[in-house]
Amino acid sequence: MHKMRRAAVRAAIVGAAILGAGVAGTAQAQAPVKIGLVLPYSAGPFVAIANEITDSMALALEESGYMAAGRKIEILREDTTHKPDVAQAKAKKLVFEDKVDMLVGPVASAELTALFDFAHQAKVPLIIPNAGDNEVTGEKCSPWVLRTSFSNDQIVRDMGRWMAGKGFKKVALLAFDYKAGHQLMGGFKKPFTEAGGTIVTEQYPPFGRLSDFGPWLGKIRDAKPDAVFTFFAGPPATLLVQQFKEFGLDREMKLAGAGWLVSPLSLPSQGKAAAGVIGVLNYVPAIDNPVNKSYQERFQAKFKRTGSEFGAQGYDTGKLIHAALTQAGGKTDDKAALVKAMHAVRIEGTRGPLRIDPRTNNVVQDIYVFETELQGDKVGYKVLDRIRDVQDPPNGCKLGG
Amino acid sequence: MIIQLLNGLQLAMLLFLLSVGLSVVFGLMRFVNLAHGTLFMLGAFVGLSTVEATGSFWLALAAGTLAAAVAGGLLYLGLLRRLQPAGPLKQVLVTFGLIFIGLEVARLVWGDYAERLPGPASLAGATEIFGVYYPTYRLFVIALGLAVAALLHFGLERTRLGAVIRAGVDDRTMTAALGIDIDRVFFAVFVVGCALAGLAGVVAGPVLSVYAGMDMGVLILALVVVVIGGPGSLKGAFAGALLVGMAETFGQVWLPEVAGMLLYGLMAAVLVLRPQGLLPAGPRA
Amino acid sequence: MTPPASHSRHAVALLLAVLAVGYWLASGYYGKELVAETAITAILAMSLSLLVGQAGLVSLGHAAYFGIGAYALAGFGQKLGWPPALAMAAAVAVGALLALVVGWVAVRLAGVFFIMITLAVGEMIHAWFLKDRSFGGVGGMSGVPRLDLSGIGVDLADPAQFALFALAVALLVYLLLDRLVLSPFGQTLRAIHQNEERARALGCPVGRYKLAAFVVAGAVAALAGTLAAQRSAFVSPELMTWTLSGEILIVVIVGGSGSLLGVSAAAALWIGLRHQLSTMTDHWMLAMGVIFVVLVLVAGDGIDGALRGLWRRIAARRAARRAA
Repeated sequence: MHKMRRAAVRAAIVGAAILGAGVAGTAQAQAPVKIGLVLPYSAGPFVAIANEITDSMALALEESGYMAAGRKIEILREDTTHKPDVAQAKAKKLVFEDKVDMLVGPVASAELTALFDFAHQAKVPLIIPNAGDNEVTGEKCSPWVLRTSFSNDQIVRDMGRWMAGKGFKKVALLAFDYKAGHQLMGGFKKPFTEAGGTIVTEQYPPFGRLSDFGPWLGKIRDAKPDAVFTFFAGPPATLLVQQFKEFGLDREMKLAGAGWLVSPLSLPSQGKAAAGVIGVLNYVPAIDNPVNKSYQERFQAKFKRTGSEFGAQGYDTGKLIHAALTQAGGKTDDKAALVKAMHAVRIEGTRGPLRIDPRTNNVVQDIYVFETELQGDKVGYKVLDRIRDVQDPPNGCKLGG
Repeated sequence: MIIQLLNGLQLAMLLFLLSVGLSVVFGLMRFVNLAHGTLFMLGAFVGLSTVEATGSFWLALAAGTLAAAVAGGLLYLGLLRRLQPAGPLKQVLVTFGLIFIGLEVARLVWGDYAERLPGPASLAGATEIFGVYYPTYRLFVIALGLAVAALLHFGLERTRLGAVIRAGVDDRTMTAALGIDIDRVFFAVFVVGCALAGLAGVVAGPVLSVYAGMDMGVLILALVVVVIGGPGSLKGAFAGALLVGMAETFGQVWLPEVAGMLLYGLMAAVLVLRPQGLLPAGPRA
Repeated sequence: MTPPASHSRHAVALLLAVLAVGYWLASGYYGKELVAETAITAILAMSLSLLVGQAGLVSLGHAAYFGIGAYALAGFGQKLGWPPALAMAAAVAVGALLALVVGWVAVRLAGVFFIMITLAVGEMIHAWFLKDRSFGGVGGMSGVPRLDLSGIGVDLADPAQFALFALAVALLVYLLLDRLVLSPFGQTLRAIHQNEERARALGCPVGRYKLAAFVVAGAVAALAGTLAAQRSAFVSPELMTWTLSGEILIVVIVGGSGSLLGVSAAAALWIGLRHQLSTMTDHWMLAMGVIFVVLVLVAGDGIDGALRGLWRRIAARRAARRAA
């Protein structure tokens, strides 16, 4: 229902703009800046993530009353229905029919592959709020595709050294057998072995059809590692955390992983089994800075749950876009200048200081090592370490700068 | 090795509970209920809500089973019986549509976030068996599967209804000609099958997590079990579940490269070489 | 089952095409995307209609041939660098070849067992492309080349022009399949569908006919797949999920399984409805599911049957008037 209402509002705004253009000829100054969101709102496993990004971005834009440099900011939402070809068609619709100034999306890697070339060829800024494929801001990079979330490598690059330094010398790896799984495990492995660690076993279950971690945990137990480093999110993450405990592996080794393993989205379904897990991520709700505190307060007041890393990325994306629009003086016709403004701005986000690296178009941010612990009868987070200003090397990206 | 065997067995028993209803309905009524997985999910969600409201896993077990039975009964009386004359294709398609309705209803009622259905406190922790520690709850799943299998076996072999069902699978027209109300038999079998799917949903809750869409993966697995074992046969469903449970467990560990395709290949091979399944129903030898 | 006279069929085909072009002219940008999607879905549905409606073979794995066509185009055109036209032809051949191999064993099965084996093989192929990272795995692969039609002034990178191109291909496929349905081959298929035992008794090589239908359907589905890949210049395993096979099957049943035009109209209805509902609510799948179930319940002979009933009534009234 609210979709219809929004459509009506949008029509009214557009109508008013056209009328304004006809009467006074000053529409350009008054016309809203349009941001098109291309996210999987209605189907597939990422609906919760899509909503979290959208809601949090709205929180960020509300702070300025949806205004930047005297222009109204308008959000147009399009649903990818979790299909890459639909994602691409909807992005084209936003650009050609609704004339948006920039695109924000998507979540899933297949949708990103489908959107990337379009944004690159159409020279429309595409801002990725959550997808980690290294290549997108590495060898495949485009001057028009910017990322405010993370690259897979950025998340885990310093974790190997960290774990080796804490005495976890023998580590087992466990992730789904697909690109992101291999990127995150590979990114961890090299620095870890260089720091003197040993990978005792690597397990890659087939993607997307796992019914049980039992078999894999059995193999890992046999390898006798000090810790197991993993990458899972959503229902498989819940499954792993529970089964790790069920099989008593928590008595023999530490469970660690890219922090989505114990995301605020998964904690309620993981229960107390989630305590004692080490995570590494670009965000954790326990980060102690004023921006994050205010974000969490407002998010929790409105949605009655803890904002997750996806929400935080959505919020920071909103702040970055707002800062860039202000920097560009509200001018959006020159898309190259808009991208330059994105490069120029520095903001304090929920994750600490943030900027977009002009060499790769990837975000430069702090990475946090944390541990989950029992706080009262609930599981909460404790930040163990903060790695500042983590910046990707160009990795074959030739944007220069 | 023993742990992997137990893992395989545990998965097999879960699959057995899930697929036995699908299999008997397939054998008896010659159609595939694609919404069978949806009833599994319904059982899990109703179980989840019951645990949240009462704190009792055992009540949840009863409520989830009952909910799936009621939903299955309504489905049969409201839709499937009417489509009987139109043939299996329309029945398959209607249940395909029901998958999406079920998915959306689950999202509307229970939301987009994965939830955990906590197992009973009395079965928490691990038990020593064959010299290894194994989660007690999983041993319960194995025991429950075996118990249900024994009960169904007794019901089919020793009761009048069982005899009618066996006769119905063998030759539907003949059974009807003997003056037996085949429609009531269909109804009873369908409802019991759905109830078991609901039971499987609650039982799976503490092992898997509960979320809208959890039905899709298990539906295909259940179909594989049914086809491999042989539709309409209790023994077939049991053997099929064992084979699929073990193949899933050991295939993923030993042959991860082809594990994704292994089961479908197995299913296709059985269909081509032995379309009646490994342990088919029918006149016993 | 016997189709109406060819002039009235072609008139309806023309009407559908005119309606589509009219919509194309009247709509904004996204409407043109919908026309392209409809044309591709119609081709896929027509290919399945040949199987379901003419040969009585209900496949729940048809998306696999659609997907394999798309992936083969990506493989030949992008990885091997073949000219797009050649790559497209080769992709259609791959679809036919796959159907030949699968059909060779599958057509021996009937009813639910045929449904099951097509599903199993479809899922097997899907699982392969999910895993195989040379084609991008789950993430898919972009940069699939498009046909170069600049010689006739058409740029397929332009979505509006691509929509018209896809529509033209759909029309061509219709004409081709229509001839096939009317040919002795089509008549034999229908005879087998109606009474297989009798056809066999008359000495008809039933298996070979079914296999031929399966191969043609596979090839046409692959052709639709090459269009889908060119439309977005992108392939992913999403193209071959079994739920897509199920959706197409519903389109075919709603259209009136044996009617090429009926299923094409149903494809338009399907795409239009989905778009309309999804702009109204995030829970559009619920509405689609309900409509699905209702349509299957009341479908009877589908859109085709309903229209033919209407046509008969008009014709009867006209005849009555003429007689008066």
